[in-house]
Amino acid sequence: MALIEASHGSKVSQDNHQVRTAWSMTAPALALMFLILLAPIVVAGVLSFSNYSLGNTGFDWVGSQNYERLFSRSTYEKMFIATFTYVVTVVPISVGLGLGAALLVHSLGRVGDIYKTIYFLPVMATLLAMAIAWEFMLHPTIGMVNRTLEIACGTWLETIPFFLQGCEGSFPLWLGDRDYAIWVVCFIGIWQGFGFNMVLFLAGLTSVHRELYNAAEMDGARSGWEQFRLVTWPALGPTTVFVVTISCIRAFQVFDTIEAFWPQGGGPSKSAYVMMFAIFEKGIQQNLIGVGSAITMLFLLFVMFLTLIQRWLIERKVHYG
Amino acid sequence: MSGLQIDAVTKDFGETSVLKGVTLNINDGEFVSLVGPSGCGKSTLLRIIAGLETATRGSVSIDGTDVTHVRAADRNLSMVFQSYALYPHLTVAENIAVPLRMRQMSTTQRLPVVGGLIPGTGPLKRDISQAVRHAAEMLEIGALLDRKPGQLSGGQRQRVALGRALVRNPAAFLLDEPLSNLDAKLRVQTRAEIAQLHRKLKATFIYVTHDQVEAMTMSDRIAVMMGGEILQCAAPDVIYEDPDDIRVAEFIGSPKINILPLEHTDDGVVLLGRVLDWPMPAGMPHLMQLGLRPEALRLVEGPSKLRGRVVHFENLGSEIFAQVVLSDGDIRLTLRATPADRQRLSLGKEVSLEFELRSGLIFDTAGKRLRMAEVKTRAAKEVA
Repeated sequence: MALIEASHGSKVSQDNHQVRTAWSMTAPALALMFLILLAPIVVAGVLSFSNYSLGNTGFDWVGSQNYERLFSRSTYEKMFIATFTYVVTVVPISVGLGLGAALLVHSLGRVGDIYKTIYFLPVMATLLAMAIAWEFMLHPTIGMVNRTLEIACGTWLETIPFFLQGCEGSFPLWLGDRDYAIWVVCFIGIWQGFGFNMVLFLAGLTSVHRELYNAAEMDGARSGWEQFRLVTWPALGPTTVFVVTISCIRAFQVFDTIEAFWPQGGGPSKSAYVMMFAIFEKGIQQNLIGVGSAITMLFLLFVMFLTLIQRWLIERKVHYG
Repeated sequence: MSGLQIDAVTKDFGETSVLKGVTLNINDGEFVSLVGPSGCGKSTLLRIIAGLETATRGSVSIDGTDVTHVRAADRNLSMVFQSYALYPHLTVAENIAVPLRMRQMSTTQRLPVVGGLIPGTGPLKRDISQAVRHAAEMLEIGALLDRKPGQLSGGQRQRVALGRALVRNPAAFLLDEPLSNLDAKLRVQTRAEIAQLHRKLKATFIYVTHDQVEAMTMSDRIAVMMGGEILQCAAPDVIYEDPDDIRVAEFIGSPKINILPLEHTDDGVVLLGRVLDWPMPAGMPHLMQLGLRPEALRLVEGPSKLRGRVVHFENLGSEIFAQVVLSDGDIRLTLRATPADRQRLSLGKEVSLEFELRSGLIFDTAGKRLRMAEVKTRAAKEVA
């Protein structure tokens, strides 16, 4: 009996030993995860309820005041409008163009590699440097864009209201015009981002089984569109969900173009005052850590929401297991 | 009756010629297997019949109409693919319904919500689901209609692919190695089921396989292909017993046919240095090849035409295959023996082998059958 108890006891201590070893081995990783990934978010969350400024020795709790400001002041209303305009414009167009370019490039064979490289160039280039190049091109008087548009003056193109207005008065100021500013940023976002989406779609396309197209042909899918609907589009389902989510997150994070074009404040009358720029301006430039943290938390919420939708879609809809 | 005609079809991929003028007439309701080693062009031929590949030269006609330049979707043929090629996002029922939806419904009728509002869509949809249920019942997959292909076993997927092929009434069924992804047991079972299905539907089946057993057991006729040509197209028993070419004789039959060199000299017919009492007609070439099926050889006591030593044997229960190395050379023969001969076969034992002259198949050195050389042996036997 004593023997059994002794062996039982040693087994328990052995188990304990294993558990301790396991914890001690995971501890560094866990500690780093909390310290580097979770703690900053928690700190930002806590600070969003305060009026803390960097350098101050203390701070006061202000409750939900920072959040109330976000939903009451017109500056933040402009922030939401600019951000959502950008996301809603850039995501569908860059995903659509990426898919279209991928389908075209995929049908080409070897020549496709050249197109692939060209379309991918803007992705590889630094957006900040590219933004400066765009700024020159979009300059109202000496910029390439308006110079090119002026060529159309005196031709039949003047029948189009846009050209008529431009030739009689002046062409748009682009970056200086609050009606155009956000759209220019959107255009650059699409120009820069669709090549990346194309590459993701190309990877998705290689996994489509060739025999499925033959089966679709035998089943009577005559047009390219019918074959696309029956084979390509469903096969690209998981890729599309991923591309849309990535594009959304990237679109929410737009910052460098706006910082390069309007370092002093988010476009003419804050028409391009996107969330990332607001965080930078409030939290860093104006040292209003509380407000900056509140915008950050909201930002995190949007992105988290998108990621959750993606997970749900992938598990429910597009995984055909 | 009509059927399917393939006339002098050639196919070149760049410099390589995959099909070198294939002509084949398939009768209505016939089950024809295209069999041959991999790379012989059988799948390419099937794809040309289907319209998925265009022939370099030659023509394909279905029911007397030339369809050489008609695209696959308009040829009214069904195909079962080796990988089954089921649409992974559609349920079994939807998969089977695809050929009917694509052919019977317009593009607008197929739209998710709007389609239902167009007059005539409702009854059409009911007809389609009726046809799908009928096809599913015929293949005993009625219980699986709501599942996705990813949730099915290989055998079930294969049935769904068959269901998708037979849901509409095609002019012919084209099957491209449909059993190659199944395990051995299921393959035997499905083989019988496909043959039964053919009898029930009385439709034309063109079946591509590299497995001679599948071809032998299911077909009305077998077309043996090699190097881009059809060497022989005939009923399975004719292909086995009366091959035109040594390559056909070697490809069909397991274990492989035994080939021995035969010499026609002034003394008579010489087999491995032994003169045979073979009544050979005049004008036969000096060198020939003798083909003997494993079952044509039998074990005897005492003097015989062939002697050798047993080097290997496989006991399958109902029969025994023994490999014998002949003493007159380095030739290895396969012999089929009955279990009664079990005692006489042990490794290393000397055995005597005998065969009937009339069971020998004679080929020239190029591999063509020399039926003339066999005439007298057969006639002699019949007289006796």
